[in-house]
Amino acid sequence: MGRVRSGARAELTASVGIVDDGVDVNAPRAQGQWALAWRRFKRDRVAVGCAVFLLLLVFAVGPGAPLYGKLVGHGPNDFFPYAVSVGLRPAGPFTVTYATHEVAGDDPYALKHPPPPKGTGKTLLLLGADSSLGRDEFMRVLYGGRVSLEVAAGAAVVAILLGMLLGALAGYFGGWVDAVISRFTDLVMAFPLLLFLVMIGSLFSYGLTRWTFHGALNQGVFQLIVIIGAFTWFYPARIVRAQIQSLRNREFVEAAQMVGARDTRIVRTHLLPHVVPPLLAYGTLLVATNIMIEVGVTFLGAGIKLPTASWGSLLAQTWGSILNPNPYNPATTQPWLTLCPSIAIFLTVFALNQFGEGLREATDPRSVR
Amino acid sequence: MTGYIVRRVGVAVILLWVLSVITFAIYLTVPQDPAGFLVDIQHASPAQIAHAHHLLGTDRPALVQYGKYMGRLVHGDFGISWATISFFGGSAQGSPVGRLVWQASLVTGSLVLGGFVLLLLIAVPLGTFVATRPRSFVDRLSLGLSVAAISTHPLVVGLLLQLFVGNRWKLMPASGYCTISRPSDAAVKAFQQFGVTGAPPPCGGLGQWAWHLVLPWITFALFFVALYTRIIRARMLEVLEEPWVRTARAKGASEFRVVRSHALRNAIAPVVTMTAMDAGTAIGIAMYIETVFGLPGLGRTMIRALAGLQGYDLPVILAVTLVAAAAIIVLNLLADIVLLAIDPTVARRGRGGLSRLVGRSA
Repeated sequence: MGRVRSGARAELTASVGIVDDGVDVNAPRAQGQWALAWRRFKRDRVAVGCAVFLLLLVFAVGPGAPLYGKLVGHGPNDFFPYAVSVGLRPAGPFTVTYATHEVAGDDPYALKHPPPPKGTGKTLLLLGADSSLGRDEFMRVLYGGRVSLEVAAGAAVVAILLGMLLGALAGYFGGWVDAVISRFTDLVMAFPLLLFLVMIGSLFSYGLTRWTFHGALNQGVFQLIVIIGAFTWFYPARIVRAQIQSLRNREFVEAAQMVGARDTRIVRTHLLPHVVPPLLAYGTLLVATNIMIEVGVTFLGAGIKLPTASWGSLLAQTWGSILNPNPYNPATTQPWLTLCPSIAIFLTVFALNQFGEGLREATDPRSVR
Repeated sequence: MTGYIVRRVGVAVILLWVLSVITFAIYLTVPQDPAGFLVDIQHASPAQIAHAHHLLGTDRPALVQYGKYMGRLVHGDFGISWATISFFGGSAQGSPVGRLVWQASLVTGSLVLGGFVLLLLIAVPLGTFVATRPRSFVDRLSLGLSVAAISTHPLVVGLLLQLFVGNRWKLMPASGYCTISRPSDAAVKAFQQFGVTGAPPPCGGLGQWAWHLVLPWITFALFFVALYTRIIRARMLEVLEEPWVRTARAKGASEFRVVRSHALRNAIAPVVTMTAMDAGTAIGIAMYIETVFGLPGLGRTMIRALAGLQGYDLPVILAVTLVAAAAIIVLNLLADIVLLAIDPTVARRGRGGLSRLVGRSA
């Protein structure tokens, strides 16, 4: 829309009071697609609730976790033997325990821990102890959530970028480029995804695990990001390819070609903006899927290694590992050690799914809301 | 139609071959010394290590190794599991990978097949029922439940079922697998004489087999049931609008008869082929379930081979990957052919390549 900036014209139209910048002021203002999407999104109460929950979650696992650690005075890997009974049963939620790493006395037949020396401080374990080591379960859920979300979001970004690049190439150029990329996509999609993730995750776990970017990420996170991203970019690639193929022969692309725009410019400024809204929605759903994958791969022993907590390793905590599953012993386990990470995973994946669904409907121009 | 099938089979064969190349490339690049399965690497002399490589055949050029590997593969021989290998008089002894993988696929097969049967037993009646009452309370309830079910990790379902139903309330066996055939008398006798304390007695038979698989089946079905119910509901709603349904009603057929014989029969055929297309996802889910419930299936076999103490048992890992991928490819091919038999327009529309494999990830 060509806006008239000439002062005389503006004065004239202002005095007449009907047209401003060539637009009827009495008519509703034209809105950008993002404003429209925001209006549609606001009406979806479930999606808004999920968005708020996700914001809170990101705050809790990001800056919130160390803040909480300062508040209670311990970290996720500190162990408190006083939170574990002599029979090795971890304490339940809302436990206040002695903040010491050592048990006083050395009587192996004692039925109770002897009290610690006078003056030992106390500390709160909100969800109790995590295992016979007596670490803070709540802090481990927070820090584990950070690791799981880092993996999931990072892998989604990798997948979307790769998918956008290859999908745009295949969709725009067609011909043999499209044939090669599409056949490659078909090939990798025929793989049993989880089987390959577990296999590659444990076979090639030497180089990438140590990449932590100066402590910004935990060990193993970057490797999982790369592996999961490298195996999930097909769906975004297909979305981008289909979208660009349908837009490639439209008039505005022809016009751009006619005025001499280069291919990169056409793809970047004329085609990719159409792909961004569905990709955003799809990316949110991908984060949800990736959380499931991270949990699964770590549970199966090919992901994040202990002592770093992630939701997958927390879930495996009471169950054991594939080579030595812990035999069930009611005297030494607590059901909430399985329940806590389960609930965290469920709520997060549910919120991401609902938020992504809301985003998809809000950004879809054909949406009726 | 024949041309279509021939083309699809050709694509499947090429895909399988490429998969074998890729798995073999992984085999060659894995950072480990396979000599560790025969000698103690830290204390063995270089000559001993070289001899171990010679016995395992890993000292030959990559192309020769690939040729031998493919030659054996064509004959259905997957080699011998490295974890059990030993050499007597120059010939390799140990458990053949083919038999290991065959036994494992029987377990995975019983899990996946039974799971799908249970799933259809729940989803078909439920989906049909809610389709006849759209927007009712039951319909909205099933929608809400399916949204929740999609967000639930199968590991979570499996672990909670195992913890509560199996371990705390002791209603069902919490883990373990029983063969469908009865255990041999010799095995029972051996257990009675030499049985390790705490080890489960050998079990078998149809009843025991099913009883041990109830919780795994439920876990498996719960993952898919929401999706299938929604799909059957959507298909039914579509079909119920068709003119032949109206004709059947006009002729005075009872509503039950209309739904069962006229609508459901048409709605369900694509759903049955959909189960074959979900094979890839199903194998992933089965991997979780086998791990949690201790079923010696394909996924668990592979994870054990990956986690072995001496090193990665590569022949087993490759065989499992190939068999799983082959199963997925063959099932998708079958689904396509069955779909073609139901709806001959598919061939003319020409689904390019393997676009059917676009499924959901596990």
